[in-house]
Amino acid sequence: MEVDLRSLAGHRGRLVERADPDPVTAEVVRGFMETVCFEMATYVSRTATTPILNQSNERNATVLDAKGRLAALSVGIPQFMLTSTLPVRFALELFGAEEFHAGDVFIANDPYHGGGHLPDYNVFAPVVVDGRLVMIPSIQCHHGDTGGAVPGGYNVTAADIWGEGVRWPALKVVDRGVERRDVMYALQVNNRLAGFLGDLRAQIGAAQMAAERLGELVERYGVEMVEASVDYMIDYAARRFSEEVEAWPDGVFEADAYVDHDPLGNPDVHIHVKVTIDGSRLAIDFTGSDTRQELQAWSTFGNTRGCTVAQIASMMDPEIPKNEGFFDSIELVVPEGCVLNPYPGRPVSAGTHHPGIDIGEVIALAFAQVMPDRAVPQTYKTGIPTTITGTDPRTGRPFIDPSTEVYAGWCNAAKGMDAWGAQAASFGNLWKATAEINESLFPHVQWSRDYRTDSGGPGRWRGLCGSHYRKEVRVPAKVYTYVVGMKYPMPGIAGGKPGAPNRLTLKVGSDSPVVVSHTAEWVPLEAGESIVYDYGGGGGWGDPLERDPQAVLDDVLDEYVSVEGARRDYGVVLTGSLEDLSLRVDEQETDTLRASLRGAPAPPG
Amino acid sequence: MGVSEPPEGLAGDRARVSPGRYRVGVDVGGTFTDLACVTPSGDLVVEKSPTTPEDQSLGVMGGLERLGETLGISTGELCGSMEVLVHGTTTADNTMIEMSGAATGLLVTEGHRDEIEMRRVHKEQIWDPAYPAPPPIARRRARMPIPERLDFEGNILLPLDEEAVRAGVRRLRLLGVRSIAVVFLFSFVNPEHELRARELIYEEFPEVEHVSLSHEVLPRAPEFERTSTTLVNAYVAPRISAYVERMVKRLAGAGFGGQVVLMQATGGVMPPEYVARHAVSLLASGPTAGALGAAIAARRSGVEDLVSVDMGGTSYDVCLVRGGAPEVTVDWNWRYRYYIGLPMVDVQSVGAGGGSIARVRQGALLVGPESAGSVPGPACYGRGGTRATVTDADCVLGYLSRDRFAKGRMHLVAQAAEAAIERDVGAPLGLDLLAAAWAIERIVNSNMANAVRKVLAGHGADPRRLAMMAFGGNGPVHAWAQARELGIDRVLVPKASPAFSALGLLVADYVVDQLRAYVAPLSEVQVERIRALLEELRQQAAGALAPAGLAEAQVGEEYFVQMCYPGQNFDMSVALPEGLEVGETTLLDLAGRFHSEHEATRGFAFRNQQPLVRGLRVVTRGFTPKPRILAHLGTETEATKAMIGTRQAYFGEGFVEAAVYDGEMLGPGAHVEGPALVEEPFTVVVLAPGDSAVLDQAGNYDIHVGS
Repeated sequence: MEVDLRSLAGHRGRLVERADPDPVTAEVVRGFMETVCFEMATYVSRTATTPILNQSNERNATVLDAKGRLAALSVGIPQFMLTSTLPVRFALELFGAEEFHAGDVFIANDPYHGGGHLPDYNVFAPVVVDGRLVMIPSIQCHHGDTGGAVPGGYNVTAADIWGEGVRWPALKVVDRGVERRDVMYALQVNNRLAGFLGDLRAQIGAAQMAAERLGELVERYGVEMVEASVDYMIDYAARRFSEEVEAWPDGVFEADAYVDHDPLGNPDVHIHVKVTIDGSRLAIDFTGSDTRQELQAWSTFGNTRGCTVAQIASMMDPEIPKNEGFFDSIELVVPEGCVLNPYPGRPVSAGTHHPGIDIGEVIALAFAQVMPDRAVPQTYKTGIPTTITGTDPRTGRPFIDPSTEVYAGWCNAAKGMDAWGAQAASFGNLWKATAEINESLFPHVQWSRDYRTDSGGPGRWRGLCGSHYRKEVRVPAKVYTYVVGMKYPMPGIAGGKPGAPNRLTLKVGSDSPVVVSHTAEWVPLEAGESIVYDYGGGGGWGDPLERDPQAVLDDVLDEYVSVEGARRDYGVVLTGSLEDLSLRVDEQETDTLRASLRGAPAPPG
Repeated sequence: MGVSEPPEGLAGDRARVSPGRYRVGVDVGGTFTDLACVTPSGDLVVEKSPTTPEDQSLGVMGGLERLGETLGISTGELCGSMEVLVHGTTTADNTMIEMSGAATGLLVTEGHRDEIEMRRVHKEQIWDPAYPAPPPIARRRARMPIPERLDFEGNILLPLDEEAVRAGVRRLRLLGVRSIAVVFLFSFVNPEHELRARELIYEEFPEVEHVSLSHEVLPRAPEFERTSTTLVNAYVAPRISAYVERMVKRLAGAGFGGQVVLMQATGGVMPPEYVARHAVSLLASGPTAGALGAAIAARRSGVEDLVSVDMGGTSYDVCLVRGGAPEVTVDWNWRYRYYIGLPMVDVQSVGAGGGSIARVRQGALLVGPESAGSVPGPACYGRGGTRATVTDADCVLGYLSRDRFAKGRMHLVAQAAEAAIERDVGAPLGLDLLAAAWAIERIVNSNMANAVRKVLAGHGADPRRLAMMAFGGNGPVHAWAQARELGIDRVLVPKASPAFSALGLLVADYVVDQLRAYVAPLSEVQVERIRALLEELRQQAAGALAPAGLAEAQVGEEYFVQMCYPGQNFDMSVALPEGLEVGETTLLDLAGRFHSEHEATRGFAFRNQQPLVRGLRVVTRGFTPKPRILAHLGTETEATKAMIGTRQAYFGEGFVEAAVYDGEMLGPGAHVEGPALVEEPFTVVVLAPGDSAVLDQAGNYDIHVGS
């Protein structure tokens, strides 16, 4: 069976013909819906059993209207919130609105029916008033396992989607308030984690709670008013969107980005974008992106669409409500068969991240040519999270350590602001684990995650330094992972320099350390050996030779930048010593060095 | 948790008011310093006095002077016969707002120097890549990595490098640091390295103003939360110590011989000696007192489950009260962009108040968080404010008296309100004056209702099963609409509303809430070890409470075991009523109690799983006497006799004629039917059509909300 994802994603039109211009009610309705999203996410946090949900906050809450249009969202990761709408549309097509009954709950996780990758489970419940479908709240969460050949949900070398895990395009798990035991049982036996069903139930409860709350909203304002409000907010977002685009310079801007390789080692996975700005029209065309069918790096259409909109949204007024108005305002062209819109059946667990998330980078690079002020790639170069398995001597049971810990990397500077924190803004709703959490769960010691000096991309504003991360296993273990960002680190913008590349070394402390070239497939580690991951830095913004020398001095005092780095990357000459804090900028030498680095004669005097 | 009022009889037995002495609560707010005083005869007197931001203790003394005048005694007499002064100060908050704390350095386990910047990946604004970093407390150069390491059970993997500590301290001194935080991994399991580091710090840097050890400030995982909390503590502590010292000196100078205690965000009060070491516990203590006041005032009306809402000039503070006590949270306390890991009364604020500014931006009506405050204030104040605010809308809609606002001290300029609303909201949206004012009302009410829902969501509470207690200058004006938005059918408005925070201070108990890590599967727990640790915690608390001079009968302990399922990261406190009498059979029961409690609060239990013990907790409470009455009531039980006129007011469907009452005349049992406006000295209780209210014995307007 095949589903045309582009038509699934197509423009759906308004709910009501009559435009009811009541901005105040619309605003009240929007606030209510966004609060419901918050309540759904909080419900999951309170009731989920496994750390990935109740700790890392990976939960994406949205409200859709009866046509499957995004009405509101609030808590989660933009890329994934924006990806989570199409599975609901597919269920609408499969069942038909008349099969959405009050008290029903649905589950979906399939990439070729609108989803991103298999571990992301969408759970949604209709709001039905007088037999009529009005709204569909949905909560999507990333689970720690999804069946398939490899524990942990990431089988990055699977030949096809079936090898990656089990596919559920759309299941009704609760039928008019009654849980379907057959379906729930099937879900559980197809998953390795004992807590899987508990977490799904947390999502189910959240969706049911949201449906009830939205029912109250409809009761108060009536179906018509709520629908008119949704129309109004979508129109409003679309209008604000076009006003922003209108203010952008017209033209056609192209850019390329690359992923080092796919998990099989096929090099240079290429994505290409052509951005067309014409008045208030914005077209994003990925024609020209890689079409090698032997690749193992596929981002589904739904994922591509979500990542595209997330990057565009990051370049606009943050106050514009995020809803279908964004989707409706972008002409998106993604040829079938390219890495950003694979033919059905291709494996996607690696491709969701790469080249999927790299879309932020390529779009930012295109925009950097004309409006660098807004170009901050919302991306990461994670590869996949490193999975470590073994047997825990404390329990005698096998463990799966998904390495959900904090580390820093890949966050670009923005104009006027050095990059800060651990990752780009888009991922700010994550809440990752730490040494004191995971060392009590898994037999390892986290010796370091400090910023690496000189790893942030130089620029007038500096990119974020990446982490030097070292984890020692205390028992024999095996490591599974996929690494990118070694050949293609985060690029600089507007004359800024790239961040340092990633580098992962296994078996550090043994006689034969292993530098991972693309994947590690269950590399065995002895107790006492370490995994050392030097995470890459973010790109800089603007010419580093224009950075205020005092800011460079501050960076050296803070050891983000070395004395040598100041000279090499910024043309800033320092005298004195870091040891006794006597460092000073030698202004004359700095002027001379900067002039020569610019290729111009030294200024007089 | 938090603070409770013991049954009346018990309170009387355990906590005796010394005869002939005054008890005073002083709460410093942004504009006013509020005072509440229980006199030797058990009477309650409230006062207000201007806040002095540069040194809040001056305003406190000024307030005491006014209070003395009201009582008819001199400041010296008042101070000389004061048993206790309970102080709520925003000094810690101001230090964080201004980022004006001590130059602070950090000694931290090598390899974990940057946790404070990485913030577990959290950023506040996910759609705005240009959102700036929080202002640093200790820049990276002042964070010294120290080789040392413990494992999760407290075993030493790498011994403390003492020379590195000395060198680090010397460097911090060179940097001009005055206050040092020490955060070593798993120090809460084994504090040996942190304790040794403190000795070394004093050897190298004897004149250091303050040292905070993470296992003393927040003895629990994980390290980001502990680092953030400890850094904030070290940052604010020197200024708090200096402030408290000054305060005590001023009071002593005025003849004060009683006990000063300070309000903490945990909802409890503690003597200055304790607060100096735990300065971070003062942060965000301001709104806590109001929530305590709400809890106790509601309890006097027989209501134990409610949401308390305090709507002032700029903010709207929401707190869930269940079982008569404000909910306490340890999960997600961000203040001034730092994470505070201490248990705090869960008061959440949004920028919605009477001064919240309404404007149209890109076709959308926004109300707040920007506020006109009290200066220049809403347009209708006629003090130079020109922008449309919520109070202006309240004025146009007829809720506020134009002549009798704020005890008649202020005359509202309706024309100014009308002009501002027409210009800022009406014209851009194409609405007439009334529709524009109503639009402001709807948006601010919806913002506030959403804030309430978010707070309740965190605790899994349903507003329809709660009452609402509304206070603050604007809470009673908006409660009728709030209740309808939230499906709440009972609202209480306390007559003591304007000085509620000061009143809350007077009812707060002493609370020492202590944790100690002890990690073991329940089956391997050693009873003797538990007993020894509990006893140790109990004695520590007794030491901390000693300066308060409480009688033994006034002090009570509650014992808890911190438990979770393997793999979970949030602990749950399971009550251990056996306390020091804990035995083997208790441990068997404990699993069952944990499963049941987990099911009740989080919706599920794994009864075939062995729970993990993660720590012990002792909450020691010193009970304080509670005032007998919380408000002065009038004598008129026949409401019509207190009716002083009528006013046109708008509730969504045309103006209606609302009866206006003088609230100060109303006595217990007086019954008022909406639409009505009950004017109190600093607020108006607005009753919509269909609402009815009875003024009860406890001094609360008990409002039944119509549909």
